[in-house]
Amino acid sequence: MTRYLLARLGQALVIVILVTLITFVILHLLPGGAARAILGKEATLQQIASFNHEMGYDRPLWEQYALYLRRLVGGDLGYSFQLNQSVAEAINQRLPKTMLLSLGSTLIAVVVAVPLGVIQAVRRNRWPDYTINGLSLLAYATPIFFMGLMMIILFSQVWPVLPPEAPQGFTMAEVLAEPAGLVLPTLTLAILTVAVYSRYIRSSMVDNLNENYVRTARSKGLAESRVIVGHTLRNGLFPVITLLGMYLPALFSGALVVERLFNYPGMGLLFWQAALKRDYPILLGVTLLISVATVAGALVADVLYAAVDPRVRLKAARS
Amino acid sequence: MEVPTQPLLRLRDLSTDIALRRGAVQALDHVNLEVRQGETLGIVGESGSGKTMTVLSIMGLLPTGGRVVGGEILFDGRDLRGLEAQELRRVRGVEMGMVFQDPLTSLNPTMRIGAQVAEPLRVHQGVGKAEARERAIEILRRVGMPRPDKIVDDYPHQLSGGMRQRVVIAMALIRSPRLLIADEPTTALDVTTQRQILELIDDLREEFKMAVILVTHDLGVIAGRADRVAVMYAGRVVETATTAELFRAPRHRYTEALMRALPESAESGRLYSIPGLPPDLSRPLTGCRFAPRCGFATDECRTTDVTLTGDAHAFACLHPVTDRATIAPSAAREPSASGAAKPILTVRDLVKEYDAGGAGLRRTAARVSAVAGVSFEVKAGETLGIVGESGCGKSTVGRLVAGLEPPTSGEIVVDGADVTTLDRAARHRMHRQVQLMFQDSYAAMNPRMRIDSILTEPLEIQRVGDSGARRARVSELLDQVGLPRRALERYPHEFSGGQLQRIGLARSLALRPRLIVADEPVSALDVSVQAQVLNLMRDLQRDLGLSYVFISHDLSVVDYMADRIGVMYLGKLVEVGPAHQVVRAARHPYTQALLDAVPTPDPGRTADAGSAIRGELPSAVNPPTGCRFRTRCPLAQDVCATEPPLAGGTHQVACHFPLRQEAAAGA
Repeated sequence: MTRYLLARLGQALVIVILVTLITFVILHLLPGGAARAILGKEATLQQIASFNHEMGYDRPLWEQYALYLRRLVGGDLGYSFQLNQSVAEAINQRLPKTMLLSLGSTLIAVVVAVPLGVIQAVRRNRWPDYTINGLSLLAYATPIFFMGLMMIILFSQVWPVLPPEAPQGFTMAEVLAEPAGLVLPTLTLAILTVAVYSRYIRSSMVDNLNENYVRTARSKGLAESRVIVGHTLRNGLFPVITLLGMYLPALFSGALVVERLFNYPGMGLLFWQAALKRDYPILLGVTLLISVATVAGALVADVLYAAVDPRVRLKAARS
Repeated sequence: MEVPTQPLLRLRDLSTDIALRRGAVQALDHVNLEVRQGETLGIVGESGSGKTMTVLSIMGLLPTGGRVVGGEILFDGRDLRGLEAQELRRVRGVEMGMVFQDPLTSLNPTMRIGAQVAEPLRVHQGVGKAEARERAIEILRRVGMPRPDKIVDDYPHQLSGGMRQRVVIAMALIRSPRLLIADEPTTALDVTTQRQILELIDDLREEFKMAVILVTHDLGVIAGRADRVAVMYAGRVVETATTAELFRAPRHRYTEALMRALPESAESGRLYSIPGLPPDLSRPLTGCRFAPRCGFATDECRTTDVTLTGDAHAFACLHPVTDRATIAPSAAREPSASGAAKPILTVRDLVKEYDAGGAGLRRTAARVSAVAGVSFEVKAGETLGIVGESGCGKSTVGRLVAGLEPPTSGEIVVDGADVTTLDRAARHRMHRQVQLMFQDSYAAMNPRMRIDSILTEPLEIQRVGDSGARRARVSELLDQVGLPRRALERYPHEFSGGQLQRIGLARSLALRPRLIVADEPVSALDVSVQAQVLNLMRDLQRDLGLSYVFISHDLSVVDYMADRIGVMYLGKLVEVGPAHQVVRAARHPYTQALLDAVPTPDPGRTADAGSAIRGELPSAVNPPTGCRFRTRCPLAQDVCATEPPLAGGTHQVACHFPLRQEAAAGA
């Protein structure tokens, strides 16, 4: 098991290093170099030269890359002259807010989607299945901004119980002080996620319910609830692990549309604004972060698989 | 044995339907059966005969859409159909136990063995966790599981097929059931393991005084184990009698045909095969359901509904068998007159090793020795049979010979040229000489290609002829394998198993090869269809002068097909010789054990208990040194740690203590 973990960790590390190499190369391919990109079009040659010297951009490439890596390890993702703060600080301010939104919606989604998917599988091709299937298809097909708008119209116009805007507080404490403002963005995100997850869980449970081992369990005279919860559910939830692993990068990148719609100052909004203003240090910093999160998501999914599926565990122990 | 008069289970006019998208399949039609305590009832029939549906109806485990629509299931005097759900679950969980066909998929992959085995106790008797574990260990020990106190905490994938089936049996037995239902309990297992499992079920039946229903397609298994037999065809019981009576004097024409189709009863080199296919049960049927395939059918058979009549020996046939059929193992085919023929294939010191696991950058040192120095020859027009249990390397030999994989070392000489040293283009041409025929033809065909394209593809790849010539060749192929031209327009899923096997054969014949490697070509087929395919293969061999390497785990099929037989064990060829000598005068102890383990359709013959081999096949990662069989051999001595060479004249054996001397040449 430990050997398997170490091997997977090693692979992940190699990929992360490759990603840093790519972001480094992109930084150098920017028109006029990083200096022009950061200082703007009006910068004089002298300004650029002194900036390059200051940042070490006049040294050999490999030395610059080593320097870049050393800064990354120290948590220095660069400096955004447009925001006039370091990239790390900018991310630090917004990441917790995004995580609050994404984690909350994912949690709700899993809690709702698992029972829905199971009910669909058990009552397959009967009215509960058709009803849930229709609703989730509708949710899946609805553009998320439209879904958000409908939520705002319904719950803050027609029936004004919730604020249409997310909390605007600067710190987490301020955000958490207005929980009502978080309800609509979280729900909007959760509805879409429920639609995706429940479909996966349904098909996975249907496959498992047709397996021979379920018939064996029934032959023991078990009640149907025990057959489903005790035998089928665990095997049926494996795809959810993969989904969660794939979803991890989204926890970091944020949901751009929802954040824009509810004006929630998270990662998505940060990235969007940086893209508009060509704030390359922010863009590359966030890209790097998301890449690492993607690699980490795959790693977490593998480790979780090994933890819950004894077959994976054994294969790993042998290799 | 004393048999109580009151049957434990009695089916009265049991009818079961399976709903389809449109209409329904009448899977069971007025089935009447009974089984007494301490008795084994065998239910035998081909696929689709309703034998599995019968037991699933009893257990209430019918697949989605399946429903019992009529009749009674009387268990201990009570009709199970009238019971409440909760009581029914209790009866099912406590008084009945079921053993399923495929032990791998029948166990929950993520649940520990102990938890699965003891679950009925926990649910129905409220036994605590610790006690349940103890009871699980106890019952695992009883079914002959090695190290049960360790196995109890293992997961199913860590066990071999035979051990998994023991787990399934233990799970059925832990509730001390009064009725044990075994549905093809050994079909997925090797013969030596099959023998161990069947003996176990027999012992346990006596010990627990259970009634046993043994469902199988294998007449040999039934003959050796059942007290009474019910033969099913197309959803009905067509004949039932004591086992001895049924095999001595079958009365129903279907039963007789089934027995004559067995390779063991081949008389003049040809097998009897039942023409046609079983009827479609989704349409209303009148008359005897076997009539369309029966040589004795009259108009009366097709119009009147024939019912089961008779007491001890009941059968539903208007023109029953009257003369006593003799089902005696007969001599195999006469050896082909190719004694001096040139070898078409010569294999020398063939070795194939695979890396064991070894993920990523670091290669592990462990290597699986799949084939370890195998040498043999196949002459033109000859059939070499290769037999052995799963994992012995016989399929790997087939793939190597067919050029699908490169060997680790050794020579494969086809028609005078060593294939392993050829360049790409020459090896490409070699494929014209050697073709492969697969076990599962459906899986081996692209489901989105029509038969037309499937048969034309080899010709296109080898650039044989123009499109007109290819069309002509494909039509010729269909004629050769006895399929109508219409077949060209259809897709693989529209054909039955036997037809697919014919198409597979046609595809391997397309390039006019001289050698066909057939890997378990009839293992997935019913007896009557198997006979059709085997006959076809022999006809084509005679007409086209083909050579076959015929790979199978089924000794009786190989005995029927092959001129010479090679027996493999754990990557080694342990014995090779003329078919009739290997089967009737085996020289290697392993061959003898294999032969003794094969159930024969002859209730009088009892297997010699002494020759049974125990234990499990050793791992091919670190195979035993010297003779690889010595760890399980009853005759093993110290000298067996040195490897015995394959020695002898025409009947060679690799053993320090061969069972008998080679028969005189020409005998």
